[in-house]
Order: sequence, then C-alpha cells, then structure tokens
Amino acid sequence: MLAAGEGRRTGHHTNKVLLPLAGRRVFTWSIRWARLLPYVERTLLVIREDDRDAVRATLAREVDGTPIDLVVGGDSRHASEWHALQALEPAINAGEVDVVVIHDAARPLAGTQLFEDVIAAAAEHGGAIPVRDQGNLVGRNGETPPGDRVVAVQTPQAFLAAPLLAAYRQAAADGFVGTDTASCMERYTDLPVRCVPGDAGNVKITFPDDLFLAERLLAKADYDLSGGRERHRRRAHLRDVLPTARRR
Amino acid sequence: MTDVEYADLRCESCGEVADHELRYAGRLLESTRCTNCGHHIVLTQRSLVPAYVRDLEQRMVSKPGRMLRRAARDPLGYARQLPGAVLRQPGKFWREFRELFR
Repeated sequence: MLAAGEGRRTGHHTNKVLLPLAGRRVFTWSIRWARLLPYVERTLLVIREDDRDAVRATLAREVDGTPIDLVVGGDSRHASEWHALQALEPAINAGEVDVVVIHDAARPLAGTQLFEDVIAAAAEHGGAIPVRDQGNLVGRNGETPPGDRVVAVQTPQAFLAAPLLAAYRQAAADGFVGTDTASCMERYTDLPVRCVPGDAGNVKITFPDDLFLAERLLAKADYDLSGGRERHRRRAHLRDVLPTARRR
Repeated sequence: MTDVEYADLRCESCGEVADHELRYAGRLLESTRCTNCGHHIVLTQRSLVPAYVRDLEQRMVSKPGRMLRRAARDPLGYARQLPGAVLRQPGKFWREFRELFR
C-alpha cells in the first residue's frame, strides 16, 4: 500500500493519508477491507520517513491482526513500488507470495469485493486493474478522444508476483520509470493485464471535496465496505443495540 | 483527534497543490481553506447537523467494541488512561457542539 505521497517536503502539512476520516485515518480504511480476505497474508505499507512515528501510532490504535511491515518510499510512485517489491523479494523467491496487490492509500473506499476481483483476475490472467468507462469525453478542440474506449484507471491493481518482480528488476536496470504498475508490467512481460469493473465510490482523496464525499459515502454504507465479510455483525444504528428502538 | 489539521490537497479554485486548513466538528469535516488562495469550502449548519447526529449515533454504538479492543491491546495502559478520558468527555462534546452551532 502506497502511502508515501508525492514527495513534497515543505510546509507543516500532514500527509493526506494520515487525515482523519470518519473516526479513523484515511489509510487504515482500505487496509481493513483488504485484510478481511483470508488469503491476504502480508501487508506492506510504503511511507515517508517523516511519517514513521505517526503511522506506527495509528497502526497500533486502528489495525488489529498480523503486524504491518513499513518500507520507506522513493521519489516517485515507481520507485516506491520498487522499494516494496525489494522488501518482498525473499518471500516471492521462496514461493510464499503468489499475487502482489498495489493500492494507493489515498483511496480509502476500495471495498473487499474490489480487492477480491482484482486478485482473482490476476491469479488467472497475470494482471488486473479496476477501470471506469469515461464514455462522454470530448477533446479540447472538439475532436473525439483517442481509441474507441477511454477508461479511468483505479487501484487496487494486482499482478502475479514473480513476473512483476522480474519486470521491476529489468526496469531498474534500464532506468525505466513507469506511470503506474501496469505500464511496467506491459513493457517487460507478455502477460495480459485484464480490466475489471471499478467502483464509482472508489474516490481518490485529491481535492478537499473528496474528503466530504468520502465521509458521506462511508456513512451511506453504514461504515461497512466489507460486503458482509466482517466476522461480527456490525452495529451501526441505535436500533441495533436498543430492544425498544428495534420494536418500533 | 485535533480540531484542525493541515494537509496538501489540490485546490479546485487556484489549481495548486497547497496546504489546506481543515476544521472538524467531532469526526466530521466542517470546512476547508486553501492557504494559497484562501478558497473556503464550508458545510452549512443545515447539512452538517444531520450528518453529525448520524455520526454521533455510530460513535455511541461502536464505543463498547472500541473500548474492548483498546483494553485487550493494553489493559494496564487503558486502565491508567480511562479516568482522564472520562473526565475529558464533557469538554470534548462542549467544543464539538460549539463548533457545530456557532
């Protein structure tokens, strides 16, 4: 999970993935949804060195279960991914990791089902990315956009672990920097990268309005994007706990 | 959680990635202000109050579970901090209501 941000190191700002969002920090929401899948066995968080203490404190407070490994990111998204893959290299070489899922920590509303969909597609085909059709785009001068189908790409993106590691190793040797994980995979492997349906609610926190929207979408979902996979029955309303309220 | 946070976000008005001042009422974001151009987004009370009430309900319902998880993680630390946390609650809610209805 990429939480290192875009590399700006000035000002007194908080990394946006550490912002409060409906009672938790932004980045722990999607950790929660992803780790409900029984085969998600290892979680690695790519952070800024400056955020290490805040991230550790947040994880201790908000995330139960298997400890999460922390890796310091690089100057670009590609470099951060490479650092993460290097940390996973022994496990990948030992055959302990089949699929690597890369997710942007600024997308807190990626639910368990979306993680399951991309992992299943990657295990079958080699790679999978969630996309949303952008059918109504028009070029700046009125011309139609290139190709007959334009999509917006989201995360989580999932790939077979060994080919992904090999692709990034080759990219490092060539000095290639990809715009996203799929671009590196497509350049250095023959494995197909399949598109799976993304989720309109899987917003990326970019603008201030996105925080308002994410709050409302979480409330609308009763703070549960597990698709019914949470072990205990979730209680989101007083009527769930007060017998008198339930009768009414 | 603090009532004010600062974070790098892209401003819809000036288009720059800049520090934004974010003000919270309880757990809910109440307003944002771009420190570069001053662009201010604020939720109206009419919109914020129902959202706050709904959020408060969820906080109350989930509180026992959250307390149990915290106690299970660090029983001694939890027992040590509990009295202070209880004493801080009235002030915390007073600040939240003041922010909500000002």
